[in-house]
Amino acid sequence: MGKLSHADVVHLLIQLSIMLLMARMLAEVARKFKQPAVIGEIIAGLLLGPTVLGMINPDWFQTLYPVPSANATILSGFVQVAVVMLLFIAGLEVDLHIVRQQGKQAIFTSLLGLMIPFAIGFIFPYYFPEFFGIADTTQNLIFALFMGTAMAITALPVIVRILMDLNMFKSRMGLLIVASAMIDDVVGWLIFSVVLSMIGKEGNMSIGYTILLAISFVAIMLTLGRGIFNRVLPWVNKKLAWPGGVLSISLALCFLGAAFTEFIGIHAIFGAFIVGIALGDSEHFSERAKEIVHQFINNIFAPLFFVSIGLRVNFITNFDLSLTLIILVIAFAGKIIGAGLGTRLGGFTWRESLGAAFGMNARGAMEIILGIVALENGLINEKVFVSLVIMALVTSMSSGPLMKWMLKK
Amino acid sequence: MNFQRIGLAIAFSPTAHAILAEAVKIARQFNASLALVHVGLKSDENQAKIKQMIIGAAGDPVQVSILFRKGNPADEILKFCKEEKIDLLIAGALKKENLIGHYIGTTARNIMRKANCSLLMITTPAVASTSFKNIVVNAEDSAYIQDAIGIACQLGKLHHAQWIHIVRELKLLSLSLSASDQCTEEEYELTKQNLVREEITKVEEMLSRIPHEGLKINIKVVAGKSGFELSKFAERKHADLLIVGAPPRKFSIFGRAFPRDLEYVFADLPCNLLMINLKEVTRG
Repeated sequence: MGKLSHADVVHLLIQLSIMLLMARMLAEVARKFKQPAVIGEIIAGLLLGPTVLGMINPDWFQTLYPVPSANATILSGFVQVAVVMLLFIAGLEVDLHIVRQQGKQAIFTSLLGLMIPFAIGFIFPYYFPEFFGIADTTQNLIFALFMGTAMAITALPVIVRILMDLNMFKSRMGLLIVASAMIDDVVGWLIFSVVLSMIGKEGNMSIGYTILLAISFVAIMLTLGRGIFNRVLPWVNKKLAWPGGVLSISLALCFLGAAFTEFIGIHAIFGAFIVGIALGDSEHFSERAKEIVHQFINNIFAPLFFVSIGLRVNFITNFDLSLTLIILVIAFAGKIIGAGLGTRLGGFTWRESLGAAFGMNARGAMEIILGIVALENGLINEKVFVSLVIMALVTSMSSGPLMKWMLKK
Repeated sequence: MNFQRIGLAIAFSPTAHAILAEAVKIARQFNASLALVHVGLKSDENQAKIKQMIIGAAGDPVQVSILFRKGNPADEILKFCKEEKIDLLIAGALKKENLIGHYIGTTARNIMRKANCSLLMITTPAVASTSFKNIVVNAEDSAYIQDAIGIACQLGKLHHAQWIHIVRELKLLSLSLSASDQCTEEEYELTKQNLVREEITKVEEMLSRIPHEGLKINIKVVAGKSGFELSKFAERKHADLLIVGAPPRKFSIFGRAFPRDLEYVFADLPCNLLMINLKEVTRG
């Protein structure tokens, strides 16, 4: 194993400390305005990164977060692990029981809430790739597929928070929205994984093979994998220290699943997500264990990841107003029409359906993860990424007030 | 609520005498008529055996009719319930199925999954007659939640139960808490307490409409997989009767591969099980 120099160790620890402190401070500011922590954490990254600190004093920024450096590589490793863990808890949040309880209605609502934004998100980039800065027009199908997925995804924790504030979480509508958002996430990440694996590949055979691999992985994990977890977890709960045992084993399984999907050519995050679903669905994975995993990841690794976004990209030089506006319009239109129609067909009034659609419009952290993975894989450029992050923040901030306004009218 | 016509699926098993004794006792308690069904050959020998069992179990005379059927036991018993307008079917069941039995479905489990009337599955029959001293009732949202709590209180009074535990599930607890993680420790605890309080209030509202004077009632809120947590709780409390409302949908083999709710209970019965289904019952 390589070794960092004494100075590098000090530097790395200071970097991590500053990132966590800034993230916490700005998350607290966001909290005062009743906004999700991710908004504060992204702003913390902007302040520490090239957007603000780099503009005011480039030397300070270079001294604090030098690129390239041994520390930068290690920090990037931290961030990679953080993304995998974030997808793992996103998987844990998917409750197949609620999805099944809501039955066909949830599938119907979620599919409309997924297909329409996907279609709108696909059409524009497919026909106008130059507007989105896609120089290589042979890649416009993959790019359009990605944009469709980016428009279809939802931010479950943001939706849950809004529903809890409105005292609607356990209502028929609340559970329908939650179940639909869960289905959207599963299908969305499945499509995204296929899109990622298409990069650099040509021909229907390899795409078909990737889809088959992804679906087989899901099927095996949710049957055989889940069965194995159900055998292992009671032993872990009974024989190993608590919560250390369940924490170590669940994260080990998460990394193993992530490594496996990365190895077979589907992105690591997909493996983590599906392992999260399979583990979370086990009756032996207690709610207390889930709570601990959530706290651990959400308050340590998630801030590091979201701050790192701002460290990596300059949000001012890469800001494109017209691109951002178009992405915002596509995002709002697709989700509001799709989710609104889906909920309306579920027997709710137009007002209620629009309220639900505003709620489901929140993209939150998931969109940012999707964006950064796409950026790292060369699927999008920094301008599109910045617009996607802004869209994620605007939709997350506006969904609560808009939903309240619509339902209280 | 009253069961006016009680059915008993009887086989020549080692526990048949005890199950019959239980059925007779319950029929007397509800002042109901008792109909026996045996899926098998209607021979003189079998008829004599059943009559002998009735004499042994009943003591005092009760109104008992005996029917013989031929064919698949589960299907025939279910048909019998429909044709005879049975309100409550009593049958014996093993505590746990083996793996093959779990997927293919034994007679008892098939009845549980498909019955259109209330069911009492007896896992621990006793000729001296069991009394239900420790009753657990599932207060999960269902069409029969009120009736399930009502019959729990009714049986609790009849059997002088020591405890009636009403179990209510707290859905999506970890998701609710993870969505509420941006608050102070005090607010976090308060959110958690409010989530639990909300469920307790719902049960208290239901209880206020049901006579339960003199009964010791414990309202328990559990978080986790519904059905599984209920079953574990009943086991922990050494319950002698678990009362649940019948689910809205029929169970399928898919449900056995991906168990939910009552499938967890069926897979490993923690105690005797009473499943309330009022499609055919006369409300009293």
